[in-house]
Amino acid sequence: MTGVLEAIDISKNYGGVRALKDVTFTAHQGKVNVLVGENGAGKSTLMKILSGSEQPTSGEIRLDGEPVVLGSPRAAQALGIGIIHQELSLFPNLSIAENMFAGRELRRGGLFVDTAEQRRRAVEVLARLGQGHLSLDTAVGDFPIGQQQLVEIGRALLEDVRVLIMDEPTSALSNHEVDVLFGVMADLRAQDVTVIYISHKLDEFRRIGDWVTVFRDGSLVAHESMDKTDTGWIVRQMVGRDPDSLYVRNSSPVGDLLLEVRELTAPGFHDVSLSVRAGEVVGIYGLMGAGRTELMECLMGMRKAEAGSVAVRGKPETRGTVQARMAAGLALVPEDRQRDGLVQTMSVRDNILLATVARFTRAGLLSGGAEQRTADAKVRELAIKSPGLAAAVTSLSGGNQQKVVLARALLTEPVVLLLDEPTRGIDVGAKSQIAALMADLAAQGFGVLFISSELAEVMAMADRVLVMARGRITAEFTAQNVTEEALVTASASESVLEGQQ
Amino acid sequence: MTDTHVAAPAKTAAPPPDAPRNQALAKAALLLLRGRTLVVLVLLIVIFSAISGEYLTQSNLILMTKHVAINAILAIGVTFVILTGGIDLSVGSIAGLASMVSGGLLFKGLNFPGGTVFFSVAVVILIGIVVGALVGAVNGVLITRFKVAPFIATLGMLYVARGLAQLHSNGGTYPDLAGTDARGNTGFHFIGVDSLLGIPVAVWIMVLVAVAAIVVTTKTPFGRRIFAVGGNERAAVLSGIRVNRVKIAVYVISGACAALAGLLLTSELGAAYPDTATTYELNAIAAAVLGGTALAGGRGTIIGTVMGAFVIGFLSDGLVLVGVSTFWQSVVKGAVIVFAVITEQAQQRLQSGLTKRTA
Amino acid sequence: MFKKLLIAATAASLLTLTACGGDDSASSSGDSGASAPAASKLIVIITPSPDNVFFKAEQDAASAQAKKLGYETLVLSHDDDPTKQSQEIDTAISRKAAAIILDNAGADASVTAIQRAKDAGIPTFLVDREINKTGVAVAQIVSNNAQGAGLGGQEFAKLMGNKGEYAELTGKPTDTNAGVRSQGYHGVLDQFPDLKMVAQQSANWDQAEALQKTQTILQAHPNIKGIIAGNDTMALGAWAAVQAAKKDIVVVGFDGSPDVVASILKNGIKATVLQPASKISEMAVDQADAYIKAGGKTDQPEKQSVDCVLVNPDNAKSVTDFAVS
Repeated sequence: MTGVLEAIDISKNYGGVRALKDVTFTAHQGKVNVLVGENGAGKSTLMKILSGSEQPTSGEIRLDGEPVVLGSPRAAQALGIGIIHQELSLFPNLSIAENMFAGRELRRGGLFVDTAEQRRRAVEVLARLGQGHLSLDTAVGDFPIGQQQLVEIGRALLEDVRVLIMDEPTSALSNHEVDVLFGVMADLRAQDVTVIYISHKLDEFRRIGDWVTVFRDGSLVAHESMDKTDTGWIVRQMVGRDPDSLYVRNSSPVGDLLLEVRELTAPGFHDVSLSVRAGEVVGIYGLMGAGRTELMECLMGMRKAEAGSVAVRGKPETRGTVQARMAAGLALVPEDRQRDGLVQTMSVRDNILLATVARFTRAGLLSGGAEQRTADAKVRELAIKSPGLAAAVTSLSGGNQQKVVLARALLTEPVVLLLDEPTRGIDVGAKSQIAALMADLAAQGFGVLFISSELAEVMAMADRVLVMARGRITAEFTAQNVTEEALVTASASESVLEGQQ
Repeated sequence: MTDTHVAAPAKTAAPPPDAPRNQALAKAALLLLRGRTLVVLVLLIVIFSAISGEYLTQSNLILMTKHVAINAILAIGVTFVILTGGIDLSVGSIAGLASMVSGGLLFKGLNFPGGTVFFSVAVVILIGIVVGALVGAVNGVLITRFKVAPFIATLGMLYVARGLAQLHSNGGTYPDLAGTDARGNTGFHFIGVDSLLGIPVAVWIMVLVAVAAIVVTTKTPFGRRIFAVGGNERAAVLSGIRVNRVKIAVYVISGACAALAGLLLTSELGAAYPDTATTYELNAIAAAVLGGTALAGGRGTIIGTVMGAFVIGFLSDGLVLVGVSTFWQSVVKGAVIVFAVITEQAQQRLQSGLTKRTA
Repeated sequence: MFKKLLIAATAASLLTLTACGGDDSASSSGDSGASAPAASKLIVIITPSPDNVFFKAEQDAASAQAKKLGYETLVLSHDDDPTKQSQEIDTAISRKAAAIILDNAGADASVTAIQRAKDAGIPTFLVDREINKTGVAVAQIVSNNAQGAGLGGQEFAKLMGNKGEYAELTGKPTDTNAGVRSQGYHGVLDQFPDLKMVAQQSANWDQAEALQKTQTILQAHPNIKGIIAGNDTMALGAWAAVQAAKKDIVVVGFDGSPDVVASILKNGIKATVLQPASKISEMAVDQADAYIKAGGKTDQPEKQSVDCVLVNPDNAKSVTDFAVS
């Protein structure tokens, strides 16, 4: 077994912190090498080093056994190492073809962009990704996020890659799109391309991976052929404990009706009726673009409803502003923390208190002591790991940032908590903490309504699961009668997929 | 301002291997950069007093501070706007309009069918400030309700308010604002000319405005909301903040501050003319930026802005004092502003480098 | 919804208010509208901003004289912006004006635009400021700035007792008159060895800037006994600073504006040099009228200069609107 790309004794320090500790890693040629680990475990750092955007503090990188220096992403690219980043790096105002060739436009006569050739190759790549139907001239920003991600992947495939690094490429893809991507990865493997694949989604990567490498706290803790492992083994390696405790199921008794939605309609969804009771955790499962986020935003008063009613604790709430819904007892933890949740320029404390800051005043002036005490109590309660209340909120890890947004929502004293993809992009450990929190909140008598795209998660956490597709609720299951198959069928019937495209 | 992904620490260069010592150095550098406005100010004072013995005298310091007062008050108002991620280009014109409105009331009174009414100075000043606040409110409404970009809305207002100022007197000057006892409107010179305890009243007013602004920005829920709106408007909306109200409020504050500055200038001059405070908006924005206010919003301090105004004022006056030509005055002022923004970015880089999360 | 309408209405009325104002000053005598036939009776008057009373007097006198002679007028202001001036001359060309009376926005920057008017068959009569080319405008009627500055300089020296420290405030550096006046002052003042200029700053013709710069200059040079300014608005700014400093300082200006004349009468500013703005404007209109009636001929030389008059407490009472009666 020869390794095409090897990292030998790589260490990486940031300031005084060691992000990687003497990692020796082999990416096997012509295989899909899966990297897993909690956020901050060091896998992204290693990938940055292997793709040339960061330099190791010590250690050596070998390509085909020869030591190489990857001084820049361009140098890595020249050696055939490509990377697809987790965050989209597309120009939303440019078309697919323009995006794919941005910065390396094909030339004709050395001066002019060879548009025809660019389009021809873009069509080729799109066809390979099963997206031949996409219009080349539409601005990329107008496509759903999943298709944008595929364009991003297409961009990497245009290069003649020997090693392709994919950093969580499926976080925004629908199941169908994930299938397409896995097909492409299988193709690449057949062409002897080495794929390095970072993922949080256990159920997904087990389908495609050949080798699995687990990182924890900056060290490589396990490297094993996929067929010799099982999910439990992987999770144990990642978190250093047993996976049975991963999701905590709510088991509190169900109480009064807290939220009742009747035939609510707004752009993005129609005639949605649902209810949430005290002590109940209700999950909404559905694909991207099914109208789930729009529903949440409408419930929270960020979108105007065209028809229908919302009642909280039996009282209709008709004003439909964020303030009114908040006062009625709703609070939303949004899907996109960076865009809708955090004020990046503010400290941890100010972010936690943002929605309720008016409470901490004496004679109109903020009382630092009361603020400090309240924020500190929330940090303890939710076990937020932070360098301090005054630290920039951006210095926290994804999971802890999510808890900051959650803390802010809880301080508004809601009766029903709306959570839009509360575990997206955070690591397994943090996921299980969030799940425990949700169960705990339900036990305290809150109603919890959450959105998830992960089957395992929604099945493990929800007392009731609603399925949304094309802006409608298409099915409802209880925890007892829900099955993966039923969920997938309800969310992604053929008609739905056609409608999406 | 939805694309304020300030985080991006991953892209910054990490410190080299011998980190602990370098980090200490970086921390020292950061401290220096944070206080850079003060450092620049001290440097200016040292340099100019070396050149001219008159620079560091009590009377000159008082005079320069008085000159600073007008720009500082304008800049404080503008800082509120910039903190929300907006911009106010109309403050110079608002100062001019307030100056003309107040000057007109003092000079020729208000004509009613029944005769001419003169108001006391206090009322005239109040009316001037209210006019500024109202123009600011129009800015705010244009920006929030009609979704006009702040740059455009206030650029338009720059012309509208200046035009209204010119219309007010048909282009003329109100030359004598002393008022008469018979009309009961004497004493306008108090705010711009007189002193209390040896310090010009204008400086006292600046101190009052600055202290009030510091309290509002750091000690009130409203202040917190200003930062939130500028830092991430969508997150602010979701936190139940009435973003439009906050925005209108900051333009009202900016307009009122501009009017106050215009009145001080007019009082000092003893005359109101329509070109009062032309292009002062640029000095005000420069002071805010110099003081570390980020034009993207969400970051900045009032005290920084005041320091920025001091740097600009002490620099301009110093150059006049030592007899540098007008042309060089422009060049030096421009260079200092650009330099300040460069150091601002250096600070941001260093800061995110230090608080970097290890991914 | 109602609130929105109200807001819209307020904004609209605000805009209308200014729009109306603009019309007022742009066509102060559009009595018979734009129905002028080929034989145009329109005289276009272009000056710097009427914010300055001097230019206002200039405009008013030209406009009144033109109407007296039976012309329509279009009064425009270029705000010392050559680009705006060029556009306004284009307006005059497209309106087929009979003549242009122009107080130009720059000795070099104005030549092309005036040439363009000439090529279109429209004669230009320059007032107040010259351009650096002859044969383009029909007449260049200016007050004799050099002579006036000489008068001002002499009076200033006399008031100073031919000795002591003084400061000079100069006008906008790009304006010819700023240089001419400064040279005129120095032509006289430099002859007195005991008169010492300790500071010279440009205040860009602006009152507030003159105030602040004077204050700073007085800091640097507490022994200053006199300030000579390149125009009256700067003299007024300087005088405000002198008053605030409670000092006894001679201030002399240039222009003869009503505010300064009033100040002289109250024993404030000591003297100014009156430019016969109204007279020059009237001369220019009269010559334009003669030129039009003669079918494009003039018997006057192109360069004409009109002497300035010193205004001091002796004759200040007889000055109105830039003219000594």
